[in-house]
This record gives sequence, C-alpha cells and structure tokens, in this order.
Amino acid sequence: MQRRGVLGAASLLAVLVTLGFAPARAQQEPIVFGLITPLSPPGETALGQLAKRGAELGVDYINEKGGVLGRKVALSVHDSAGKNEQGVAAYRRLVSSEKAVAVFGFIHSGVNIAVNEVAKEMGVPTMGTQTGASDVTAKKYDIAFRTHAVDAPRAAAWLGWIQKNKWKRISVIAETTDYGIGLAKETEKQNKDKNLGLEIQTIMFDRTTTDLLPQLLQVKAFKPDAIVNIGVGQPLDLIITQAHTTGLLPGAQMVTSYDAPARPQFWQLHGDKGVGINFIAFYSPKSELSDLGKEFAKRYQAKFNEPPVYAALNGFANAIVFAEAIKTANSTEPKAMIKALEEGSFTGWSTSPLTFPRAEGPLWHNWSPPLMVLRYATKDQTPATAEVAYVLGQ
Amino acid sequence: MIFSTELLVQTVLSGLMVGVLYALMALGITFIYSIVKTINWAMGEFYMIGSYIQFVAVHYVLGARWWWLAAIISAAGTFLIGLILEPILIKPMYARPMQRRDDYATVVTIALLLLLRSLAVALGGPNQYRPESDLPVVWIGPLPQEGARVAAFVCALLALGIFWIVIKKTWVGLALRAAAQNRLAVQTSGVDVYRLDAIAFAIGVALAGLSGALLAPLFMVFPTNGAVTTVKGFEIIVIGGLGSIPGALIGGLLLGLVESLGAAFVSSPYQNVYGFLLVILVLIIRPNGLFGERGREA
Repeated sequence: MQRRGVLGAASLLAVLVTLGFAPARAQQEPIVFGLITPLSPPGETALGQLAKRGAELGVDYINEKGGVLGRKVALSVHDSAGKNEQGVAAYRRLVSSEKAVAVFGFIHSGVNIAVNEVAKEMGVPTMGTQTGASDVTAKKYDIAFRTHAVDAPRAAAWLGWIQKNKWKRISVIAETTDYGIGLAKETEKQNKDKNLGLEIQTIMFDRTTTDLLPQLLQVKAFKPDAIVNIGVGQPLDLIITQAHTTGLLPGAQMVTSYDAPARPQFWQLHGDKGVGINFIAFYSPKSELSDLGKEFAKRYQAKFNEPPVYAALNGFANAIVFAEAIKTANSTEPKAMIKALEEGSFTGWSTSPLTFPRAEGPLWHNWSPPLMVLRYATKDQTPATAEVAYVLGQ
Repeated sequence: MIFSTELLVQTVLSGLMVGVLYALMALGITFIYSIVKTINWAMGEFYMIGSYIQFVAVHYVLGARWWWLAAIISAAGTFLIGLILEPILIKPMYARPMQRRDDYATVVTIALLLLLRSLAVALGGPNQYRPESDLPVVWIGPLPQEGARVAAFVCALLALGIFWIVIKKTWVGLALRAAAQNRLAVQTSGVDVYRLDAIAFAIGVALAGLSGALLAPLFMVFPTNGAVTTVKGFEIIVIGGLGSIPGALIGGLLLGLVESLGAAFVSSPYQNVYGFLLVILVLIIRPNGLFGERGREA
C-alpha cells in the first residue's frame, strides 16, 4: 500500500512537471545563434577568430540589454575549417539539434554557398559575414543574407584605383576558389563592359600550391604596372614574398583583394617587404562609426587591447541585426525573421544603416560596406595610419 | 602563356630547386619504410615541428644570422622526438605478437598526426609565422632566387650527402642496410633490431624536421604546413620506388620539374595534377617505381 502511494505521488509529480513546469523552462531557454566560421586550417583562421570575437561581444551586448523577447541569447560556435562539407554538417547540427534560429560567421564563400543550398530547405536564415562571391546571394534564396562587399564593387574599387593611376597592364593572380574565380572574372568583365582598355593577364592557381614561382615568372614576363593579388591566407603572403624575389616588387604595384595586411602579424611575416603594399579595406579607423559601433570599439579595445578590425565589426553587427529582426518580428519563426530583415533598417557599426532589399543579382539581401584602397608607405604602419589611396565612389 | 628561352630556363631551374627540397621529405618517408616497414603518415607533422622550432629559435633566441644553427637544432629536436616516440608507438608492433601490423601502423601514425596538429593549434594559434632571413636574393643564371631558398637547396644537398655517407660508410649504416634487407638475419647476428628501428625512425623524422626548418622562411610556419609537402613526399616515393634512396632524389627532381613546367606553360591551376599524372604514368610503365625492386615472396 505504501509502495502504491509513493508510485502515485511520483506519477503526479511527473504529470505536473510535464504540463506545468516544462513550458516555463522552455520560456527561459536561450535563443541560439549559430556561428560557423573557420577556426582551424586550412580555413582562414585569423578572420574566423576575429568574427568570433565580434559575435561574442555582440551576444554579450544583447544580453546586457535584456536579451530578446525576454530570453537570453546563446552563441553556439562551430568550426568550418574552410571546408564546405564541415560547414554544411555544422549547419545541420545547429538547426536540427541545437534549434538555432540564425546562422552567421561565414568567411569562405564556398562554405557559405554550400550551406545556403541546405539552408534553403531547412529554412533558418544565414548571414555571410565576410563572403564575397556573387553566388552567396545572387541565387536569390529567401534565407541568404550578407553584410559584405560582393565581387562587383570590389573589382570596381581596384579598377578605379588602377585607372586613377593611369596604369594599363594588369596581372590578376587568383586562387581557384569561388572567391578567386568570381573576382578574376568580374575584373575582366568590368574592363570589357566599361571599356577601360586595360590589358589584363589572368593567372589562376590551386590554393594548396606551396610554390608560386612558375606563375610569378609568367607575371614578370608580362611586365605589369599593377598586380591584383587574389589569394586568401597563406597564398596571399606567398605571392608577396615571391613577387619580391622575382623582382616584380617593388617595381610594380600590388593590391591584395581583402584586408589581410590590416592584421598585426603582417609586419612579422613581411618586414620591409610589406612597404608599398596596397590593400582593399572595408573599414579604416579613420572611418566614422555609429554610436553602436563606437560602443563596440570601446568594449573590443578594453577586452583585446587592440582596436577592432572589419571582421570583428561585422561579427558583432550580424548578431545585433538578427536580434533586432527577432524583436521586430516578435518571433523566432524563420519566415517572420526573413520578412523583418527584408523590410527593416538596422543600425550596425557603420553610419550607413543596414538594409537587405530584394535587389537584383548579387545585391539581393546584401548590405555593402564602404570600400577603399589603403597603402602602407612605411614599415610597421597600422591601418589607422595607412594612406587612403582610393575610395570607391569618391 | 608567355614563352621565351629565358623563361624556360628559369622555370626548369625553379623546378629542380624545389624538387631537391621535396626529395628531402621523400627520403625520410622511404628510409623509415625500408627499415621499420611502416609508412609514417605523420611525417608532415614532423616537418611542421621542425618549422616551428626554426621559427622560435631564429625569432626569439638566435636571430636571422644563425639560421643554420637553428636548422641543426630543429633537425636534432625532431630526431629526439622521434627517438622518444618510436619505442612508445611503433615498437609494440614488433615486440608483441600482432596480426595486422600495417593497420596498426596506419592507425597509430594517423592518430599521432591529429595529436601533433591539434597541439600546434593549441600552442601556436592558427596564425602564420615566418623566421626572419637576412640572406640576399641570389641569381642562378637568369633566375633570381630567395637567399633562403638557395641556402635550403645547398643544405638539402649537403644533408643528402651526409645521409649517404652515414648509410654507406658507417657501422650503423651497415646495420641499417642489413635490417632493411632481412630483419631476422640481423637479429640472429646479435644486433638489437629494436634499437635500429628507433634510430631509423628518428633519422627519418629528423630529415622531415630539417626540411621544415629549411623551408620555413619560404613556405611559412603554420599548423598544417606539412600536409602538402607530405603528399609530395608520397608522390615521389611512388615515382622513385619505395625504399630507394636514389629514387627519392630523382623522383623529387622529376616532380619539381613537371609541376613547374606544367604550371608555367600548360595551365597553372592544375599544378598539383601534373605530379599525379606523372605518378600514374610511372605506375603504368614501372609499377614498382623507377628505382624500386620487385618484391620477392617465399
């Protein structure tokens, strides 16, 4: 009899927990944001770390301000290692098991494109944090968003810089990834469409190649005025080193396709040979920040003892934008969030508001940061003191 | 593609130089295999360790002038690590009765690969580094070369020479060659074959470590920098023949040449494919490699 009583009490407790307490507990469960970013090789790990730092500070900021819809936000970090399959597996796990409502942090275009193919079926929106290939958004998937410069304005930036300096012979040396191929093609296309009259030599290479001397000897034989270096990570640095060896540099000008030289390790890697390098940048410490951007810069400086760079700013902004979209939609339901993103205007780090219109081509759901070419004129310069060689649109 | 005689000569020289450096790695793999009868899949990680030691030694302790001493320290360091690891990881394969030795060796060395790579990420972070080099650019005929590359080339040739002398002219070399031919016979002659295994493994990984140290100023230092070079090493031993020392050198030179010429004059994106085409061609013509011996079975 006593045993039956205990069993009855246990059953009653179970029912109470199931009916009463469980929903209350679910209410308190955090909203999960997924971060898929390269944190181990062969991915661009430095950018991944920077995006992660920004995203973590973004989530901290959101939670300090009371969270979203009365719930805290949790960041679940997954390493893509720059590999498409690893990124796709992470997305599946985030959405299926961890119930993530938004996924961002993408650095490699290939990973972002591959994930979007799965995301369009699973429905949870993605945000390309620093992915440049057109196809990330040009396929016009409802779930695909991006806060980065696409191929067209980026190529326009270096072509504008080249035109400003009246150079005629251009070598484009690009890796055979979605990123490299897209940018090399876009450069050739704009030269033709805008009738710029540039003579362009395009050389593609496999990004696992450890020796680019044969390719750079070809570049040297072409006698270019300027070289567009479209390598990411190790190949970018290898091209700078071996271009010096062949005597291409410092004679010709070189522009790198993204802001890798903005990192402190640039001078350790290149020393004197880094002088004269130009690089595409999306943010300069001279750029004006929004109030939110200033707040982030202050927190970042305090935590990491260095000023924030672009990937960190974007990681932060991505988290904020998704949180604001959930608030606007008053829901974490993907379709409602997507509608809020498409129709809303959000404050990020830049003074220009973030919008994601249903525009044509790669500008679909895309917010583009300002684009400029910075130049290191002396050794050990920081991006803050680098010369602004060209600003797109000015 | 632009073609000129000067460009052809430059490309050939560039291919030959990188070929010798590849050969150094292949030599380590083939040497370990010929004695221990084990393929060390973690060879690239010893290359990586060598490059990290070189960076730390040059950047923090010795300075660019003493790069050669740092390279010796790197080789010695990886030799010691090999000497310590072999009895723990490889020796049980022979010391205990074991049915599937090859599977054991594969699993153990791949596990070692993952461990060492993760350790490098944890200790050194994901960033790239480069040991400073103050060696000036050197002109080899019409080809400008980084001083560090020329130094690496000369040191690689020197290391290959020393290796040849040790193998051919010393008692240890004689014992190692004997073990490569017949382990049982060596054991019955009273030689401690386990000790020879450890020495062979340590010499093999030291060659990889030296290779990593010499190439660090050129190809940089990061946790996976040994991966590609290891693949080249395996391609070379297929081309030259598993267990053949001249095969490693000739295979390295051929691979360097084919890749450079293909990238410069055929199509650059397929630079890595040309090496594999060469491997397939050699496998069709001489399945045991250019200098490989046909296996004898009882």
